[in-house]
Amino acid sequence: MKSRRDVLHDKKAGDDLAVDSASSSRREFLTVGLAVTGGLLVAMRTAGAQRGAAAGAASGFPTAYVQIDPDGRVRLWSAQPEMGEGTKTSLQMIVAEELDADWTRVVVDDAGLDPERYGGQGVGGSDAIRSDWDKLRRIGAIARALLVQAAADTWGVEAAGCTTAPHTVRHPASGRDAAYGALAARAATLRAPETPVPLKDPAAFRIVGTRVPGVDNAKIARGERLFGLDVRRPGLRYAAIAKSPVFGQAPVKVDAAAARAVPGVRAVIEVPGDSNPTYLQPGVAVVADSTWAAFKGREALRVEWAAGAFATESDATLRAKFEQLLAAPPFTLHDSGRVEEALAGAAHVVDNTYTFPFVSHATLEPHNCTADVGDGRCDIVGPLQMPASARAVVARVLGIPPATVQVTSTRIGGGFGRRLMSDSAAEAAVVSRAAGGPVMVVDSREGDLQHDYYRPAAMQRIRAGLDAAGRLVAWDHAIASASRGAYRREDRPPYSTETYGAYIGVVRTTDHVALDLVPTRIPHARLRYGAPETGVPTGAWRAPSHVVNAFAVETTIDELAAAARVDPVGIRRALLGDPADHPPQPNEPTPYDPARMRRVIDLVVERSRFGGRVPEGRARGFAAHHTFGSYCAHVVELSVDAGGGGRRRVIVHRVWSVADVGQPVNLSMLEAQMQGGVIDGLGSAFYGEVPIAEGRATSRNFGDYRLIRHDEAPRAMDVHFVDSRVRPTGFGEPPLPPIAPAVANAIAAATGVRLRRMPFNGAGFVLG
Amino acid sequence: MTLIINGRQSDVDVDPSTPLLWVLRDHLDLVGTKFGCGGGFCGACTVHLDGVAARSCQVAVGTVGGRRVTTIEGLPDGPLQRAWLAVDVPQCGYCQAGQIMSAAALLARTPNPTDDHIAAAMRGNLCRCGTYLRIRAAVRMAAGGGQ
Repeated sequence: MKSRRDVLHDKKAGDDLAVDSASSSRREFLTVGLAVTGGLLVAMRTAGAQRGAAAGAASGFPTAYVQIDPDGRVRLWSAQPEMGEGTKTSLQMIVAEELDADWTRVVVDDAGLDPERYGGQGVGGSDAIRSDWDKLRRIGAIARALLVQAAADTWGVEAAGCTTAPHTVRHPASGRDAAYGALAARAATLRAPETPVPLKDPAAFRIVGTRVPGVDNAKIARGERLFGLDVRRPGLRYAAIAKSPVFGQAPVKVDAAAARAVPGVRAVIEVPGDSNPTYLQPGVAVVADSTWAAFKGREALRVEWAAGAFATESDATLRAKFEQLLAAPPFTLHDSGRVEEALAGAAHVVDNTYTFPFVSHATLEPHNCTADVGDGRCDIVGPLQMPASARAVVARVLGIPPATVQVTSTRIGGGFGRRLMSDSAAEAAVVSRAAGGPVMVVDSREGDLQHDYYRPAAMQRIRAGLDAAGRLVAWDHAIASASRGAYRREDRPPYSTETYGAYIGVVRTTDHVALDLVPTRIPHARLRYGAPETGVPTGAWRAPSHVVNAFAVETTIDELAAAARVDPVGIRRALLGDPADHPPQPNEPTPYDPARMRRVIDLVVERSRFGGRVPEGRARGFAAHHTFGSYCAHVVELSVDAGGGGRRRVIVHRVWSVADVGQPVNLSMLEAQMQGGVIDGLGSAFYGEVPIAEGRATSRNFGDYRLIRHDEAPRAMDVHFVDSRVRPTGFGEPPLPPIAPAVANAIAAATGVRLRRMPFNGAGFVLG
Repeated sequence: MTLIINGRQSDVDVDPSTPLLWVLRDHLDLVGTKFGCGGGFCGACTVHLDGVAARSCQVAVGTVGGRRVTTIEGLPDGPLQRAWLAVDVPQCGYCQAGQIMSAAALLARTPNPTDDHIAAAMRGNLCRCGTYLRIRAAVRMAAGGGQ
């Protein structure tokens, strides 16, 4: 039987159309052809650096396809791994909308789980909706245009005289209509349209902008095989890798006798680290017949590790480095006016120092990946957010050409930034090659917590001054943080990854696109940065740098408002500036628009009646933030009770949340992200902390590394999205940054205590 | 040893100290029961032993004896799963089998739970994506209380 992959690649029945992608340098190629089912197949592939249709067609990854079977079933697929934000559902809604399909007859294919049929996935990223909006609309519209042309040819009429209704082409003048399925085979013989096809007027959307449940929900509720840890292969072995407790150190001496004696253990294999520690960390792998035997074998290993340069590092040594850096930050990123003079002349000054710990991703599906390497074969299957990176990393550590590496992403049991790294794929590949067969590398919860790429710990200091009229006239912000850019050996300066997203009124003023945090409406402002040398691995954690920066800025502004006895919302509105303050920058598809932020703030104030009467014993807090093109504001209503043992129990009674994400695609998924983002933001603010001592993480399991639990979640949430026709932006991350400051501001209103250190339970505040 | 899993007898040859979780997943290929922490903290591995919710990572297989083991694969389809779909609960989905098993055990002994009952019964099941509000709505709906 001919596979779909063959159809994609030899496409004798169709022809190629090169489309320049507006948002990237990659070129996209559309293939129109006959599907194995006898239906229409429209496939989009993306060629990498190669130019020219022939080269691209030969090497392109499939990135999306539409297949319409003769029975009318529509199969859709796009190459975005699903890890909980609902991309697998929402992206197909966009295609189905432009195709004018009946959603109940759409099947979203699990192509990624079947590499023999479909080839590997080629793209990934945290902002699927934003990057795919245009191309997914286009592929849907092209498929629709082909069906319309097929109908017009059949009837001998002009295509322009035809319209579509869900799953049907109509010719109103003659009263004829035909189902999509009946037209599919003829459409498959047509050439791809050479001129741009018209897209739907958003006012006519029937699917986009509605609530559509996740396409895998039934499988999830039945416990079907979907995740990386569920992968099975004939002869599969399981491997647990012992890693140095002190981060990143290589084994010096390995005594594997006891490990080999554990029943079920098959081999003990040394894993060399890569010079880039985000690709592969050194360790010793125990390969066994079962996960349990691999874990027991790993416990029985006796390994002496190199000491390394950071063997005595601790929270205290890091704190001393942070304090030194805050006293004299080596990088000045912005300096306008005369900050020191302005602070000296201010009527009221706040001087706040903030402390943030390392935080683990703690994905509920632990670190894992499966590889089958040998005989010219290198198949990688696992919870990988960036399959293309995984391919490059595996090729590098094995020393083989990338083209020989086949990578497939499974459904991902939680990402939060952890799955951007492809280290699990590199580990599995190295161990599989040495073991001579398919191997799943899997870590325990303890290993997962102790060998993460953590959210960077930081200290920040903000000094801000108000004049006698209550206007913010001086702002001096210093950030000292572990730099994830420095950790991953980037050429960019260390602040590049740590300084974005600090202000609600922002301009992009520098050479670096990530830096977007200079306040526009403060006459005297300065931003400085420094990074310590540290051995602690760091990486992106949901809304990276936004979460900590927004906390410092939004709580300081709230404190200033209280000091000046002005409205905490009004003081922020005054900082937003005008559109003229924020000219669009090159390569910025969704520039910051203060009017959109103002609208979100106004709506959350209106819906919560913020500033009005609050029920007895309760208090409220507000915060807003702009993250990766989306705008979000929260109002929190809470009470603080005396808990046992000197603890104070914070009950979050209600959260009002408003966001502008441009055109909402799937309102159910968006609402879920808002609820989940708020809950994640609360949990990490109250409990998230990986303590560092003797160069290692001391977290053990979820007993001491606490996650927010069911009975600690907000009792109610009011979630609203701005109805917009602006091109959509992502929403996996934007709910987080404003929630912790909104809660801290409410706690300050309730108790007078200003929280400046995460996690809050360090100051005795717990969720109830 | 012989186990009764989802109404069927299964013979397995493993060390009796092996956690039931790994026997289900690695020996019997019942991968719906999830590994989350191995310490009884997260509830992802929740199964029923004679109808009572248990953390399978904390149950040595040798102690199961003749008790009936029910996994997510063997849970009869019913109002609970329908409510889960109607409310669109899952995000990443990894914890959901454990959530459903805990909720099913709750409803079996408390058919009309209050929010406090739900919170108490479900607090042992972590959801890293934060689907707690929808879980609460789905349990209420399954219990017949609507939303």
